[in-house]
Amino acid sequence: MTVRERDEERAERALVGRAFARLTGRSGEPLDYAMMDDTPVGVLGLAAGPAGLRRITYVKDEDDFLRRLLADFPSRPIERSGALDPVRRELDRYFAGKSLRFDTSVDLSDVSAFQQRVLHELLKVTAGHVTTYTRLAQQAGRPRAARAVGNAMHDNPVPIIVPCHRCLRGDGSLGGYGGGLPAKEWLLKHEGAVLL
Amino acid sequence: MTAHRRAMASDTLALLLAKHGLELARHLRRLVRDDEVTADLLQDTFLRAHGALGGLRPGSNERAWLYRIATNAALNHLRDRARQAAALARHASEVAVAAPVWLDGDQPGGGASETDPRHAAVWARVAGLPERQRLALTLRMSGECAYDEIARRMGGTEAAARANVHQAIKTLRKEFR
Repeated sequence: MTVRERDEERAERALVGRAFARLTGRSGEPLDYAMMDDTPVGVLGLAAGPAGLRRITYVKDEDDFLRRLLADFPSRPIERSGALDPVRRELDRYFAGKSLRFDTSVDLSDVSAFQQRVLHELLKVTAGHVTTYTRLAQQAGRPRAARAVGNAMHDNPVPIIVPCHRCLRGDGSLGGYGGGLPAKEWLLKHEGAVLL
Repeated sequence: MTAHRRAMASDTLALLLAKHGLELARHLRRLVRDDEVTADLLQDTFLRAHGALGGLRPGSNERAWLYRIATNAALNHLRDRARQAAALARHASEVAVAAPVWLDGDQPGGGASETDPRHAAVWARVAGLPERQRLALTLRMSGECAYDEIARRMGGTEAAARANVHQAIKTLRKEFR
């Protein structure tokens, strides 16, 4: 991006910021979003703030995603922009099987401290490997909190990159998944995990 | 309107702004080349679109529809501005017989009288100045407008109005001193 393009984008963002403040009362740092309409696991909505990626959401379509974002962030402007292009490229490479690792930084500040701990443990489980709810509970320091770990998976704001699909039941069965079990199965097979 | 319905309304507006705001800001800015005007037109566009949402057939292209509203708003604005400029130009030629009393300073009033031999020559030269300088100078000296009013009538900022007047006077001083 040239200096001129950057200046223009800044001016355009300022104008949209004014319109948001004036027409909807939303103000402050905007949240950027983008759509991936056509992935092997369905339609994904992405959203990011200055500290990193805050949402990867399985959705029906763009309006569905936006309604959720507007409800989750009731006081902030939300803008579709090119800011998430690098994340989309990373996900494209992942879905194409060219790289199963992610360098995108994630912002987990929307979930509780315990859930953040669980999700950080989960980030250590690399592609092709799986873990269990019980093992994650132990690693997060609350061995009897397997159910709370389940909630942490459920509330994971950035699935795929924070790989909650790699968490299975102790008996090796799939357990649940926010994006639907076929998506979970697709992701695991794509990564070369051996399923029972 | 109940609080709930107000929230729904502002959510629909927020949804439209989120999806199309940046793109339309760029479009309008390229058309009118002025951020203040763009800010107004952008807000008008989304308010108008929101008010007319019922008229958008399901499945029709929301983005193309917003572009059409924005483009019309920009063209109306440019047309109004051209009309205003033409009116100002007419005004400028009518007042061209008034005294150029300001060659000694940039304040209206005082200075040389209408009988000053430089008078007609100066105004003849004013007619040859670039359009925005000519309009700004005429408003300032014959219309005795403050700079903020000049900015308002011509469209643009107060600083630009001031710069136009000063540039005009500088040119004239160079030629008549």
